[in-house]
Amino acid sequence: MKICTILKQVPDAEASIRTSGDRVDLSGVTFVMDGMDEYGVEEAIRLREGGAQVEIVALALGPKRFEDAIRTSLAIGADRAVHIETDETYDAISQARILAEAVKKEGAELVFVGGKEADWDSAALGPALAEVLGWPHVDWTTKLALSGAAVEATHDTDSGTETVKVALPAVITTQQGLNEPRYPTLPNIMKAKRKELRKAQPADYGAATALTRLTGEAIQVKTRLNKLFSGDAVESATALVNALRNEAKVL
Amino acid sequence: MNFDLTPEQKEIQRLARQFATEQILPRAAEWDRNETYPAEMVQAAADLGLLNIGIPEEYGGLGLGMLEEALIGEELGYACMGFDTIILASDLAVVPLKLAGTDEQKKRFFPGLVKGLGAFCLSEADNGSDAAAMKTKAEFVGDEIVVNGTKMWITNGGVCSTYVVLCRTEHAQGHLGTVCVVVPGDAPGVSHNKLHGKMGQRCSYTAEVIFENVRVPKSNMLGGIGDGFKIAMKTLDRTRITVAAGSLGVARRALDESVKYARTRHAFGAPISNLQAIQFKLADMKMGLDTSRLQTHYAAWLVDNDRPHAQASAIAKCRASDVAFSAAAEAIQVHGGYGYMNDFPVEKLLRDVKLNQIYEGTNEIQRVVVARSLLR
Repeated sequence: MKICTILKQVPDAEASIRTSGDRVDLSGVTFVMDGMDEYGVEEAIRLREGGAQVEIVALALGPKRFEDAIRTSLAIGADRAVHIETDETYDAISQARILAEAVKKEGAELVFVGGKEADWDSAALGPALAEVLGWPHVDWTTKLALSGAAVEATHDTDSGTETVKVALPAVITTQQGLNEPRYPTLPNIMKAKRKELRKAQPADYGAATALTRLTGEAIQVKTRLNKLFSGDAVESATALVNALRNEAKVL
Repeated sequence: MNFDLTPEQKEIQRLARQFATEQILPRAAEWDRNETYPAEMVQAAADLGLLNIGIPEEYGGLGLGMLEEALIGEELGYACMGFDTIILASDLAVVPLKLAGTDEQKKRFFPGLVKGLGAFCLSEADNGSDAAAMKTKAEFVGDEIVVNGTKMWITNGGVCSTYVVLCRTEHAQGHLGTVCVVVPGDAPGVSHNKLHGKMGQRCSYTAEVIFENVRVPKSNMLGGIGDGFKIAMKTLDRTRITVAAGSLGVARRALDESVKYARTRHAFGAPISNLQAIQFKLADMKMGLDTSRLQTHYAAWLVDNDRPHAQASAIAKCRASDVAFSAAAEAIQVHGGYGYMNDFPVEKLLRDVKLNQIYEGTNEIQRVVVARSLLR
């Protein structure tokens, strides 16, 4: 069975993000593979370690710098990678259209997508990809097992969890709790050098045109009032409650 | 000219950074306070392949170079210089084998070093910089070498799989009589006393190692009689680059902690990072860090490309450790009273990095190396 794990590269969680003009300025920012996507790669490896015959293909749509994240996935254990290289900013729907073509061409039966991306936070790619493919999907998955030509997956709901069984092919979106991604080892980093990283272009997969065009970006800036309440506990608590009720209007 | 790391080097750096910040950094203060040797984490590092990465592929290693070693060293040093020393001082046993070992010796000793620590036994209680004055004796008896003597300040002594021991023979005076002998960690007659009360790098296991009628086959001698001193010096010419690398980590940590603190600490109605007195300290740390890193990576590149590197590695080691010591001291100054307390990580940086100016050739010896190369 072929498994595609979709990868994104995002700014490191520690990175301080600035804007320049009406765009986010990413120069000097450290990029890493999206943590959510690591769960997918790890889960695919675990399926193999559990005895399933699988080929793990890392699939990424994005600019040249994505290569670093792709190599990370190869070092962790993906067998080969396809990088659809583009500088275009695609919305989730048009990304899904391109990636769906790639998934079909690969003949994959199981696709892992991060539950949501650390940068845009849309949580839309997985469901959109399933929609384009016409496949079932399970999102926010925390537990997964292969069962014949189906997978049994546990996922979060508003009030708890539910376990569902879906026939393959299927799309699974991942989240924290699914597994604990391993570190790549040095020997595997060196072995990854010999693994295939194939370059492709959106045009190879029908080149969906972006449905949404980005016209400006801004970052929410938190400003503090730096207000101190003096007096004993009762006085300062009273002042705090007053401020929260009358100034901040949150009570 | 190209300053880019290769994709593999970037991955190695990323792995080392992730391992160091997630596994080592959160535990370092406790290890420091209790003088704990973190055996489990050393094993974890070895399992990830971070240990002895220079062992050639044909002997079961990764065959990586000094630059990769420097990348790992900086990340480990950032998290804990003591842990860095455990992992990178092990290289001191790998390099002599690489430089002077025969194929047969490499086949015999490298496999044990792929996952096991090495230790390099040069210093003694009465000699350090004057290495040729060593007293530990090697006598040739039949097909065996009998080693007798006591080595001092031995990193990984007592927790290693392999010792490389510098000894003297009766064959000649001074360094002409020295030999380099490989002694398995479990050889009968080897014992050790763990040294307590170190100022810093307290999680690294440092010992006095005693060799009492330790018998090893004659084929455990690297090179010939009289080669010992030469092998030791050539080894240090390379391995001191790892000391430079660890120092970069300490300096970078000192800078990061200082920037973080200076932004949040307020005085006179504004963050202290607004004060030029603080800004200049930060700028000086950054200048020291970046220039030392260039020299360190250059020295590593020379080694990896088989170029003469003794002078460059001496400059790197001396410069980077001096820069790191001063960065750690300034980090304490930026933190004020808090910096003097062990609730903040900066006082440990200073205690740890003091050793970087001393071991693998004191910084005075480094200056001698550089001066001699100028006046030759």
